Amino acid sequence: MTDDSGFTDVPQTESVPKKRARLSIVWIIPILAAVVGIGIAVQQHLSEGPAIRIAFRSAEGVEAGKTSIKYKEIEIGKVTGVNLSKDYSRILVTAKMEKSAEGLLVKDARFWIVKPRVTLSGVSGIGTLLSGNYIRFEPGKSREEGHDFVGLEIPPPATSGLPGREFVLRSDTLGSLGIGSPVYYRRLNVGQVISYGLAEDGKSVYIRIFLNAPFDRFVTSNTQFWEASGFDLSVGASGLTVQTESLLSLLVGGIAFETPASSAGNNAVADNAVFPLSSDRATALSPREVDAERYALYFRGSLRGLSVGAPVDFLGLPVGEVTGIFLAYAPGERSLRTRVEIVTYPHRLFVPRGKRDATTGRSTPITERRGFMQRQVAEMGLRAQLRSASLISGQLFVALDYFPDAPEAKIDWKRTPPAFPVVPGEMENLLANLRSLLGKLDKVPVEEIGNDARKAISALDRTLVRLEGETLPEAKKSLETLDRTLQSANRTLERVDGEIVPEAKKTLEELRRAIASAERVMSNTDNTFLGPDAPGRQELRDALREIARAARAVRGLADYLERNPNALIRGKTREKF
Amino acid sequence: MTRVPLTGAAAKIVLCKVCGLLSRPSGPSMPGRCPRCGDPAVLRQRDPIQRTWALVIAAAICYLPANVLPVMTTQTLRSVVPTTIIGGVVRLYADGSWVLALIVLVASVMIPLVKLVALAYLLITVQLRSDRYGRERVRLHRMLKVIGRWSMLDVFVATFSVALVQLRPYMTVVPGSGVLFFTAVVILTIFAADTFDPRLIWDPGKTRGEDD
Repeated sequence: MTDDSGFTDVPQTESVPKKRARLSIVWIIPILAAVVGIGIAVQQHLSEGPAIRIAFRSAEGVEAGKTSIKYKEIEIGKVTGVNLSKDYSRILVTAKMEKSAEGLLVKDARFWIVKPRVTLSGVSGIGTLLSGNYIRFEPGKSREEGHDFVGLEIPPPATSGLPGREFVLRSDTLGSLGIGSPVYYRRLNVGQVISYGLAEDGKSVYIRIFLNAPFDRFVTSNTQFWEASGFDLSVGASGLTVQTESLLSLLVGGIAFETPASSAGNNAVADNAVFPLSSDRATALSPREVDAERYALYFRGSLRGLSVGAPVDFLGLPVGEVTGIFLAYAPGERSLRTRVEIVTYPHRLFVPRGKRDATTGRSTPITERRGFMQRQVAEMGLRAQLRSASLISGQLFVALDYFPDAPEAKIDWKRTPPAFPVVPGEMENLLANLRSLLGKLDKVPVEEIGNDARKAISALDRTLVRLEGETLPEAKKSLETLDRTLQSANRTLERVDGEIVPEAKKTLEELRRAIASAERVMSNTDNTFLGPDAPGRQELRDALREIARAARAVRGLADYLERNPNALIRGKTREKF
Repeated sequence: MTRVPLTGAAAKIVLCKVCGLLSRPSGPSMPGRCPRCGDPAVLRQRDPIQRTWALVIAAAICYLPANVLPVMTTQTLRSVVPTTIIGGVVRLYADGSWVLALIVLVASVMIPLVKLVALAYLLITVQLRSDRYGRERVRLHRMLKVIGRWSMLDVFVATFSVALVQLRPYMTVVPGSGVLFFTAVVILTIFAADTFDPRLIWDPGKTRGEDD
């Protein structure tokens, strides 16, 4: 601090060595940056969830960095890598889970890939169409933590965790059902199909359904399920039937159920109880067929138009159906004949004594029932007959009816199925009648008749020749007589002309004169009233003039009213011009 | 450098940085204000090295998250894609526009890094009182001040994207926290380059003690 300025006389200020600030306040900036940076790093580290590995057989649509893992439609993780396993048989999907989902990752947690499903019954499926496939997560019940999982190939019941119960339906075919197909109860969507498969024996299909909680209790031991699949169009002996449950089920199929109100013994059922699945509502709700009685019918005629499932009617009421149509060898006749097997439901035919409830036919003793049928057949003439249900479709059905004139027959209960006596069908009857008619016609001696006819004609010919020889001259004579008669008539008329006509002339002359005088009288009258100077006419003219004037006034009033309709109410006001 | 050049401190004359008026400070420890424009007269910034160091270190700290954290996050219906600066460069390069990739790489990654390294080099050499390459170091400092603001390009792009791409719900771009750190890096390096006093470079050539 040397003072080399020129002002030496100015006292020097005291020089206080400044305390050097060792640490500048600027250091706050890097410290702040460090604190923020470390804070973010720590937060990042803490919020980082566990990494998991899921093995899939195929990872369709799974992309690293894009595919998310969702639970209850919320993203809880993200796929970070998709790799082949070491033995190249599987796909290993590594994923980073959210910190919050850490507790969910237990050993039996399930993962599966949700693919777009075009069944219309699931909105989630529509979501994947836009967002792509994602991996769905469902927590398990285990308490053990897990980080390696095996992904499911087919989605598990999408309903785990929801209150409700599962049931199993047995059906011959799957129909148009699929996973997610709705289950209806009184047209409410109350559940869905969660899986299906072939039964072990391969003879039926089982369909697992899930019913949501409040509705599962409507399933009792008597509940009937049927396929409400889409669109059921059937042409049967009973005509054209179209049946559908709802528009949705029309597209994706569905199942409906109902518990018949009348059925007794509505017991609660356990989970996974098995029910039969009927093909339609009518079948499902028809009373349970407990004792079916089978019969064989042997017909002579053609069975064209008869199909398995055709109804068996009794007086127009369905009492059973055709279960089979076969050819059978008749040993006695050394020929083939047709055998139709039918099943009838005796409780519909037979009302046990003292009991009026037809739906509880299961307690009827078989002997009583059979005795009743035997009496009907033997005494009353109950027979089976093939009838045409519709002339257009040509469908046939089996009718049971009384034919008192039918030859005597009995049911042989020893054979299985017992043969039920038949009578020829209506068509058959018609044909038989025709045939006998033709046979009779055949016997008619046409040739002889022709010969006779020829003989008759020649005889006629001879008669005519004779007629010509004998009758014509007679006729000539008659004609001449007629001529004479006409001539005399002519003369009579000429006389009338000469004597009566002049008289008439005179009469006409007088008439003409009378008319002329009448004319004169009339013209006089004319002059009095209508002549140009007639007083009547003058008065008439005046009257007409008066009327014309009045009419003019009325027209004026009408015009005025038309222009000023309010004058009717307010009266005439001074017009402004 | 045999002859010591006259400095303002030695001549007891201070130059106002705003209006350019030369004036005598009222005292060495209390320079006072410029008599014309009232700006505080400053002979030398206090603790220039320490201040610069602080800013450089802060920038270096921020440089790490700026490159690790996403600068922006693109949300589409399908996905949420966070993009870091390097990720953006890689994507641009993969898409074929390598010129853009190069520009972004240079402007956003290289320049801040170069600035940090260069400032550190200048500070270290000053602290070592090195008197070699004085002229080159001054040129380097001048260059740092010029290129500094170009790094704001990336921030600019991010801001624009965020403001323009708001096609809810189909696509949106939200800023990531990386862009904050990146901005901090750029601003801190600009300040650091500003705070660094190039006169320190040639200070070793004269007697020390004037920069109090």
